[in-house]
Amino acid sequence: MSLYSPDFEKDSCGFGLIAQMDNRASHAIVATAVQSLARLTHRGAVAADGKSGDGCGLLVQMPREFFRAILAENGCSLPSDFGVAQVFLPRDEQRIAEFQARLAAEAADLGLRVLHWRAVRTDESVCGREALRTLPAVWQGFLSLPTDSEPAAQERLLYRLRRRLEKHYVQDREIFIVSCSSQVIGYKGMVMPEHLPDFYPDLRDERFHSALVTYHQRFSTNTWPEWRLCQPFRILAHNGELNTVQGNRIWARARESLLHSELLPMAEVLPAVGDGSDSFSLDNMLELLVQGGMDFFKALRLLVPPAWHNVPRMDPRLRAFYEYQSMRMEPWDGPAGLVLNTGRIAACALDRNGLRPARYVITRDRIINIASEVGVFDYDHRDLLVQGRVGPGQMIAVDLASGEFLDSKAIDARIQGSSPYGDWLRAYARHLEVEEDQEVVATPVEDLLTAEKAFGVSFEEEDQIIRVLAEGGQEAVGSMGDDTPIAVLSRQPRHLADYFRQQFAQVTNPPIDPLREALVMSLNTAIGAESNLFEERPEYARRLEVHSPVLSDAAFTALLQQTDPAFRSQTLDLCFAASGRLEDAVHDLRAAAVAAVREGTVILVLSDANLAPDRLYIPALMAVGAVHHALIDAGLRSRCNLVIATAHARDPHHFATLIGYGATAVYPYLAYAIVRSLKERHAFSQPVTLSQALKNYRKGIDKGLYKILSKMGISTLASYRSSQLFEALGLAREVVDLCFPGTPSRIGGAGFAALEADLRRLMADAYKARKGLPLGGLLKYVNGGEYHAYHPEVVRSLQAAARSGRYEDYKAFAQLVNDRPVTNLRDLLAIRPGRAIPLHEVEPIEAITPRFDTAAMSLGALSPEAHEALAIAMNTIGGRSNSGEGGEDPARYHDRRVSKIKQIASGRFGVTPEYAVNAEELQIKIAQGAKPGEGGQLPGHKVSGIIARLRYAKEGVALISPPPHHDIYSIEDLAQLIFDLKQVNPGAFVSVKLVSEAGVGTVAAGVAKAYADRITIAGYDGGTGASPLTSVKYAGAPWELGLAETQITLRRNQLRHRVRLQADGGFKTGLDVVKGALLGAESFGFGTAPMIVLGCKYLRICHLNNCATGVATQDEKLRKHFVGLPEMVIHYFRFVAEEVREILASLGLRRFDELVGQSQYLEIQKGTTPKQEALDLRPLLANADLVDGDAQICTEPRNPPFDRGELAERILKDAAPAIDKRIATRLHYRIDNTQRSIGARLAGEIARRYGNAGLPEGCLELDFQGTAGQSFGAFLVPGVTLNLRGDANDYVGKAMHGGRIVIAPPAGVSYASEASAIIGNTCLYGATGGVLYAAGRAGERFAVRNSGATAVIEGAGDHACEYMTGGQVVILGPIGLNFGAGMTGGLAFVYDPRQRFPDQVNGELINSHRIDTEAMRGYEALLRRHVENHVQWTQSSYAAALLADWSNFLSDVWLVVPKAARLDVLLEEAS
Amino acid sequence: MNNFAFLEDPRNDPPKLPVEERRELFREIYKSFDLAGAQLQADRCLHCGNPYCEWKCPVHNYIPNWLQLIVENRIEEAAELSHSTNTLPEICGRICPQDRLCEGACTLNEEYGAVTIGQLEKFITEEAIGRGWQPEKPRVPANGKRVAVVGAGPAGLGCADILNRAGTEVVVYDRYPAVGGLLTFGIPPFKLEKEVVARRATMLADMGIRFELGVEVGRDISLERLLAEYDAVFLGMGTYRAKTGNFPGEDLPGVIKALDYLIGNIGHLMALPDPIHPYQNLVGKRVVVLGGGDTAMDCVRTAIRQGATAVTCAYRRDEANMPGSRREVANAREEGVRFLFNRQPVEILGDASGPTAVRVVQTRLSEPDHRGRRHPEEVPGTDELLPADAVIVAFGFDPSPPSWFTDFGIALDAAGRVVTNERFQTSHPHIFAGGDMRRGSDLVVTAVDEGRRAAEGILDFLGV
Repeated sequence: MSLYSPDFEKDSCGFGLIAQMDNRASHAIVATAVQSLARLTHRGAVAADGKSGDGCGLLVQMPREFFRAILAENGCSLPSDFGVAQVFLPRDEQRIAEFQARLAAEAADLGLRVLHWRAVRTDESVCGREALRTLPAVWQGFLSLPTDSEPAAQERLLYRLRRRLEKHYVQDREIFIVSCSSQVIGYKGMVMPEHLPDFYPDLRDERFHSALVTYHQRFSTNTWPEWRLCQPFRILAHNGELNTVQGNRIWARARESLLHSELLPMAEVLPAVGDGSDSFSLDNMLELLVQGGMDFFKALRLLVPPAWHNVPRMDPRLRAFYEYQSMRMEPWDGPAGLVLNTGRIAACALDRNGLRPARYVITRDRIINIASEVGVFDYDHRDLLVQGRVGPGQMIAVDLASGEFLDSKAIDARIQGSSPYGDWLRAYARHLEVEEDQEVVATPVEDLLTAEKAFGVSFEEEDQIIRVLAEGGQEAVGSMGDDTPIAVLSRQPRHLADYFRQQFAQVTNPPIDPLREALVMSLNTAIGAESNLFEERPEYARRLEVHSPVLSDAAFTALLQQTDPAFRSQTLDLCFAASGRLEDAVHDLRAAAVAAVREGTVILVLSDANLAPDRLYIPALMAVGAVHHALIDAGLRSRCNLVIATAHARDPHHFATLIGYGATAVYPYLAYAIVRSLKERHAFSQPVTLSQALKNYRKGIDKGLYKILSKMGISTLASYRSSQLFEALGLAREVVDLCFPGTPSRIGGAGFAALEADLRRLMADAYKARKGLPLGGLLKYVNGGEYHAYHPEVVRSLQAAARSGRYEDYKAFAQLVNDRPVTNLRDLLAIRPGRAIPLHEVEPIEAITPRFDTAAMSLGALSPEAHEALAIAMNTIGGRSNSGEGGEDPARYHDRRVSKIKQIASGRFGVTPEYAVNAEELQIKIAQGAKPGEGGQLPGHKVSGIIARLRYAKEGVALISPPPHHDIYSIEDLAQLIFDLKQVNPGAFVSVKLVSEAGVGTVAAGVAKAYADRITIAGYDGGTGASPLTSVKYAGAPWELGLAETQITLRRNQLRHRVRLQADGGFKTGLDVVKGALLGAESFGFGTAPMIVLGCKYLRICHLNNCATGVATQDEKLRKHFVGLPEMVIHYFRFVAEEVREILASLGLRRFDELVGQSQYLEIQKGTTPKQEALDLRPLLANADLVDGDAQICTEPRNPPFDRGELAERILKDAAPAIDKRIATRLHYRIDNTQRSIGARLAGEIARRYGNAGLPEGCLELDFQGTAGQSFGAFLVPGVTLNLRGDANDYVGKAMHGGRIVIAPPAGVSYASEASAIIGNTCLYGATGGVLYAAGRAGERFAVRNSGATAVIEGAGDHACEYMTGGQVVILGPIGLNFGAGMTGGLAFVYDPRQRFPDQVNGELINSHRIDTEAMRGYEALLRRHVENHVQWTQSSYAAALLADWSNFLSDVWLVVPKAARLDVLLEEAS
Repeated sequence: MNNFAFLEDPRNDPPKLPVEERRELFREIYKSFDLAGAQLQADRCLHCGNPYCEWKCPVHNYIPNWLQLIVENRIEEAAELSHSTNTLPEICGRICPQDRLCEGACTLNEEYGAVTIGQLEKFITEEAIGRGWQPEKPRVPANGKRVAVVGAGPAGLGCADILNRAGTEVVVYDRYPAVGGLLTFGIPPFKLEKEVVARRATMLADMGIRFELGVEVGRDISLERLLAEYDAVFLGMGTYRAKTGNFPGEDLPGVIKALDYLIGNIGHLMALPDPIHPYQNLVGKRVVVLGGGDTAMDCVRTAIRQGATAVTCAYRRDEANMPGSRREVANAREEGVRFLFNRQPVEILGDASGPTAVRVVQTRLSEPDHRGRRHPEEVPGTDELLPADAVIVAFGFDPSPPSWFTDFGIALDAAGRVVTNERFQTSHPHIFAGGDMRRGSDLVVTAVDEGRRAAEGILDFLGV
């Protein structure tokens, strides 16, 4: 009954593999694997007892001799071929015996024989509390194998055996078969990595040999992980998160009826894909494909393909392979680092975005080690042959049988040549791109007004949404938040899609930037029936393709006119006689759909165009979900496509919901009719032709779809289709079960009857000629339209109270708010009166106001006057203001204008060491309520002189904030960033701002385990300075749900005492605060209310910079009209606190702490509409019933990291004299990958004393030997040099402000620096100064959002210099794709001897020049100086050779500069 | 569209006639915007997320939307939109006290000067008509229902408009010989020229509304008959009983009720003499007008135009608390009216030949009451005499329900206002009422609003 659900669990981790490439097994390989795993401990989670990890494991090539020896000790001999079933069983003799008997019987049935049962010795003393609670008995069953069959056939038998058993024990969660194979065996458990060999003494046995081990460590978002979910699974170990897993599972089930393989009796093994975790399902699918006979490499590339739609110069044969396969299965999309182990093949693959690091080394002994980090076992760099990294979409493998190393190219060559895919496609596949003819109207709308009314279109939607799309091909942008009720609370009929909130990526995986990283994105849609995956036939290429699922009139017409029976279409009517019931109509539709497909319909069109006065319609979304699931249930889904012709698809969210629940393509006939009518009425303010307007509209929807996909981190529409990535907010179980099964709907709500009543209401007016088009009111307040929480009277009365300073005036405001019509969920929760006490016994106002923060609003969003007024007010009352993203004027650091909370957002603008050390709290903004999962852009006209200075940018040049933090792709990455921040400013609280969505509680648990001190849960109603309107409306849930879920999840997991909770979103009155506290919050963020107090009139024009109240503008003239004073804010917050005190007194409570989490003081109110009455809000209050939970409030002063940063402390001590007296000092250290953020601690101390000026040049030099852990040189300040001989991991020089980082291979290594990976991903992220020389290649996203650092490196991965706004980058070797995307400042030199640069550059914002003219002499000199410095510091022989051949070198160099920059000015600044 | 227009271009009203001309003419004093001028002003709108103007407007005109349409030169659509919330937009644009309503609430009002909403509202319809636009005849098929509307004033017209657009057969009865009620006979032409009302009447008639003028219900035709012939009846008969001050001398000859004075004057101008409201010419007289509402403003400015030698307006509160439109006060001042604030009349002196003076006593304002309104209190010993040859009493109006209402069971409240439910239905199910007679004396625009909403109530009642 609580909001917590295990379905929301997420995990991330460290992973790797080690192999002796010539298949020479040894115990050393096993021992090294264990050591490597232990070196990744910081990537996992550790409980307070130091024992309970989230699980780790090894998948080991079968140690045959070891087992032979062990069994021999027991007098049992093994044949040459045998299989082992490694099993977790309940610790119950009888059940063990029962299982063993069952296994024996099934084995016998398959012609196998049990040779021996071995109870595996385990040592439970290394287990923590949770691990012990579910501790299994581990047994090994040894099985004979038929000697006359191939190993593959033997494996298949063992697979069938396992599947039979798994199906038999499907309900029994205590029985789990870890592995059942003759090739590999899994050892895993819920212990810390270094204790794995303690738990399994087998692993310590010197006789335990292997040539190949994959390993994995888990970081789960909660502390109730399960033994069975530890990885690796039967083939793979996965680091990442498959965003589309729900859809993938659904499709896997849908395809079952098409699967046939000679090799495998499908009935025996299906359903093959189980739940458990995303990784587990992927492993199941891969295993099914491989066991069913598919080539291992093809199978993997089918499941996790690289980007191919938009990649320039891809081999056409390879492209044909992917195109052919793309219709057979959608990608399993999301961050994925995979290591695979079949006993013979060792492989590693990354998803198309490369969102997980994978570095590898090959030693002289031909041992290959691939892991999330480099340096995870002890070796001498001089023993390395190769130091490499796996790039986005790449796959590497070793065939131990042949000893062959296969790189991505070799693997591509294998698969692309296996069949003539290109020929097949040419023969059978066709594009349905039809010449647009504006005269063709597939579904004319006779009476537009009636249709608009019937389907709930308002003038506002027509004018603000559809018109804007048609005019510019862009979604409309707005500002401020959504202050209307969620659909189920509304008194008005709302679009069914309004009940669905988009899920979005936060923490556990990153959103994508669909604009700057378009090459990974695709909306390509294939139409046609699917085929058996185990066969490849030419005719299986038969399909119609469209580039977008949004069908034009012409495409829709063409689709229905296909004569080929392979595309036979039939239309089902969504309209039904009004005498019938909606629910019955849905049932009838399901039956009709099943019948149609059974009869051979391939294109099933669902259309609501046939409306009449005496008819109702099934909302298209409801229809598509119901039909989709009916067809799956009937085993028919993959034989057909669902095409929806509907009036209900108008904005991108409408399309996304339809596709998310199974639609193949959508034909939005009413939207087109509206566009036509707008054109006829000359309603466009831009000169567009009708055909342009229609195209623009589709383009705008496409862009909106990209945005929605990417906010969940999904790249392809094929994967998004039917992935159901929504939370239903306010829908009854009956509706969800019939139409949207699997969708979380946590508080019930509107059932069929209520939704039908809404339809009838719309229809009653639709055919009434006297009723005009409603004006709307969902976006802006309109009389008679939707209720707005900040309607004019609320704004007016709040301003009056803040100005007058009279509590009566505040009470008038508070009454208006507290007694409003039900708008938020909390309005249905009343405070249960208690035994009142006198007011004077309650703690004073001053004890309450420190719980109030203002929400993050940047200087940039707010005028300096408003920003400072908030800071002064909050500092006066003991609360805290939040700088927002974009830095803060150092002049404010040491007076009352300081923002005590300093925000760290994805753009990292203005994040310097001095900024970080001048904060009481550092807030990592993962998402904001108004547009979770999206980035932002500060348009050039808003970048004034001061803003440019604070953000280290140029006046007038646009600044882009990426959707993700490029150093947070996972929970372990977040832990790393928190660690960085705690290193640079150990005194600060680190807080993490999340947005409420289903599952946010488990994310929060992960955040708590990543050592955050405070977690903010923001509601959907948070504000914004600028955001697409549909983002404001459709993503993010109410904070009430998120907060209640978080409180109970943290308490269940014994984490609440370690972390503070804050709620944020629409807070206005003391009653809001008290309700927030009762649901679990200790402190509160206020955004809009204090802005209004300062004079904001809720104009929703912030994005235009013309705020007439001077609050949200940088315009000098407008700022003169700012009338706000800190006193107004002080009045307001003191009033709120006073109201809180009154409520405390009425409850008989004296202290605020007594409120927190005490949801028993809340009682559920009867709703005021049938829909409200249908809600079940009891889950919100479930916290009160949790017995044996953790504390209700945080009781610890801090949440200190497990890693004490000992090396950093030692360095600080050693460097103290240098810092104190500023005398030149040189120090030497060894370093390994577990020593992280080295430099940050030191930099923080220096910045505290000397600010960003740091130490005098050359003052402090630190030499390191070895492999540096992540974030080497983060926050570095001037005067410090870090000199590393060896290599480094991700995030080198993150937020660096000055000083020098030098990384070069140690002397005497044999690998070539320019061919080797020497630093990891996302280096120099947000750097504002300093220099980096690295003699080797960098990973992905080198110098992302760099705004001041200078760097020379010898090669880089994809997306180098992304979003760069300043600084200089010299790349002396190969680069990856998408160079310079979103780059608005700085400059780069790229050496391109192979002339590939033009295909690799993203030319949207940058120009490339040759340095071959007189005018470029200055740039030549600049480049030369950089290369000379590089050689001097790194002794790179490669770079020295380039210098020696300067003129040839120079002719192959590109100078890259932003289009907005002038070459002469840029050079002057750079020199 | 210029987002900074409100900063760059100041608020501007269209030019007014020179004072010298105005003082003699019963013509509208404001000229009209030209298109460019209107666009410049309309572009100043910020399109607030909270459209305070619309919120404050009694008929909730979609003001930002039609301002945008002006900027885009989509005047006909603006006119349609304007008519979708208001039956008489060009009239409201002229006579509404915008400074207390839309313009007073405008976000720009305090710091930059409000958008010139009233004049733009007038502009839209004038410009559209100038371009040949006419309100569309109802496209809706006739619904077979018939409704009688009693009173061709703002409430009745509002009601008839909506009914007619919904395909109802509407007949409007009025005792006056012209359409408009007080619009025609009460409001002086320098605010609202009679041609404007007449043109509107023609437009409404062209749209299908039938007018039966010079027919007084209860005298020329019985309500009973209306009930028999029509499916419903709407009463929009206004309030006509002048409030009195209850002090000595109010009944002296030469002490004139404001409405009598205004109606008589207009009847004279229109050459439609009205025996009940004779023309009273105040040329050469010293006139004192008591009251501070818009009616008082109409009286002082009429008196000026008639040639009164001195016109004084005495009001018991201060200027800030005056109910009349600030704009009208300013216009009156320009035209030579003297204002005396904080003066409570206590007696009119004079004899059978007429008044000689008004005794007033100074007042001060009390502390605000619970609604924030401050009441005048007399300051003892501050009496003074205002010499006067004529005194006009403009204290407002009370309901004037005809006695036969009771025959039909039409319930009234203590103040004499017709009681209705939220559908504007009286206690007689087929009789609906709205406007001043329901809510008490108020603005033209609120009467329009009542009439329109009552029409929706009637349509709902009739099941249309």
